[in-house]
Amino acid sequence: MNVLELSNVGHAYLGRTILEGINLRVAPGEIVALVGPSGCGKSTLAHIAAGLTAARSGHITRGYARHAMIFQDSALMPWATAAGNIDYALRLSGAKRRDRHARLVAVADHVALTSEDLAKYPIELSGGMRQRVAIARALAIQPDFMYFDEPFTALDVALRRRMQDLVIETCADGNLSGLFITHDLNEAARIAHRVAILDTRGNGILGHRSPPGSPRTRTDTQVFDWVQNALQGDPIFRHIHDVDERQIA
Amino acid sequence: MTRAHRILEFLWSGWSGLAALCLLAAVWQAGHEAYGPFILTSPLETIQAIGVLASSREAWEIAALTLQRAVSGFALVALAGTALGVAGGYSPATMRLVTPLITVLMGVPPIAWIVLAMIWFGGSDATVRVVIVISALPTVFMGAARGITTRDPVLDKMSEAFGAGAVRRFFGIGLRQTTTTLFPAFALALGTSFKVAVMAELLSNAGGIGGALAMARMNLDIAQALAWVSIAVILLIMVEYTLVQPVKSEIDRWRHAAQPWGVKR
Ligand SMILES: Nc1ncnc2c1ncn2[C@@H]1O[C@H](COP(=O)(O)OP(=O)(O)OP(=O)(O)O)[C@@H](O)[C@H]1O
Ligand SMILES: [Mg+2]
Repeated sequence: MNVLELSNVGHAYLGRTILEGINLRVAPGEIVALVGPSGCGKSTLAHIAAGLTAARSGHITRGYARHAMIFQDSALMPWATAAGNIDYALRLSGAKRRDRHARLVAVADHVALTSEDLAKYPIELSGGMRQRVAIARALAIQPDFMYFDEPFTALDVALRRRMQDLVIETCADGNLSGLFITHDLNEAARIAHRVAILDTRGNGILGHRSPPGSPRTRTDTQVFDWVQNALQGDPIFRHIHDVDERQIA
Repeated sequence: MTRAHRILEFLWSGWSGLAALCLLAAVWQAGHEAYGPFILTSPLETIQAIGVLASSREAWEIAALTLQRAVSGFALVALAGTALGVAGGYSPATMRLVTPLITVLMGVPPIAWIVLAMIWFGGSDATVRVVIVISALPTVFMGAARGITTRDPVLDKMSEAFGAGAVRRFFGIGLRQTTTTLFPAFALALGTSFKVAVMAELLSNAGGIGGALAMARMNLDIAQALAWVSIAVILLIMVEYTLVQPVKSEIDRWRHAAQPWGVKR
């Protein structure tokens, strides 16, 4: 039984094929990292999987109870404060008024936002803070499946590690599965049970690779070695740092 | 920023308005001194004339009639324009259908509508309202449609991802984003409503401030005419600052969040 299963999914924007023949499975308690060069269709795939974009072809089966998504460009409502943005998701999730405040304070603490930050509007926040608000919003509703769309790109190294640990811990408690989109193979190797590589032209998943052990027990040396080997020895990762070839062609 | 803060700031901004009015009065006075009282009465005399009108019950009724027509016409055009504009913003087919009609509406001068409406409805409230709706509709329609078409599609997705249905998405996300373009359009439409109301009253003999202006013209009473013009402007400003501005400033609070208090930037 999988919590998410995509079979033979395809998509096109304005007649231009973006994704074709995508097969992907996520097992309960598993974090699958999705890597691929910029513009290969990772965000589109996540939107299709979450039901935000209708696929042109293929089947999607969702076995989870509630999902949340951290969007690539934080997607905060500019007219609401940081707290208001988090609360919006909580209200939609049907949380009771009393519990909402407690949840809000708890997640804000998790992502290191002060109560002062919470009272600010998105234009008053830095890029990294906005991203953290988006992370807090997604965590607040306690989803059992999370779509991460390059969630930590705007964060500095220390904070990024801290967020990655947060994901690893939440997942190790058995409460979370997810699809984790990233450019960064190091991040993928740290967080994920399995790394799926999307074709440069979105033409199917090229294959899967599993870093050693489980995310929680993996050491930094193991992660480093695995990434080095992958980039040097494994042809499947050859195009991972390419730019959008479609636009050049 | 607290609400008290914002109200204070709002009142403070009144000083700049007052300064502008004093400047206008100075130019007016200069004109009066250059051309004499038969062409242009002085600001002081005009204020006195307003004072006389203010103590007459009849004048209040005249002003109230115009106010009622302008505001009800504005309410109609705000509702119709927003509904059409939102529909146009969401559906390109509607947009394509309505845009040429809007161009036609904009091309026909208001005076032509006044003549037609007079023939259809005589000198009644309906005449004034119809002309207001037709004159201000393009502005409101465009404001609403632009707001919808320029909305951030990512926010719709975000809201859907967190489980909002179509209705909640529309009211909480879509409509909320139209305010940026809709409120300036409302302010313009309100101005148009007053102008057109007075004009339609004057031409269709429908009483109100327009009727009073017609009387003043017949009597060549410059002070009276200027007093009525000033009253129309005062009414417009009052409605704008009690109806449109408070809502706008509440909705646009986030825009001012990053700006310092007062004059300095
Ligand atoms: N709304 C849209 N309309 C038309 N084309 C689109 C749209 N959204 C994305 N595309 C195209 O689809 C392709 C895949 O986009 P997508 O955002 O999924 O890439 P991505 O893998 O997430 O890239 P990145 O890593 O840079 O975020 C791109 O070539 C892009 O130009
Ligand atoms: Mg993307």
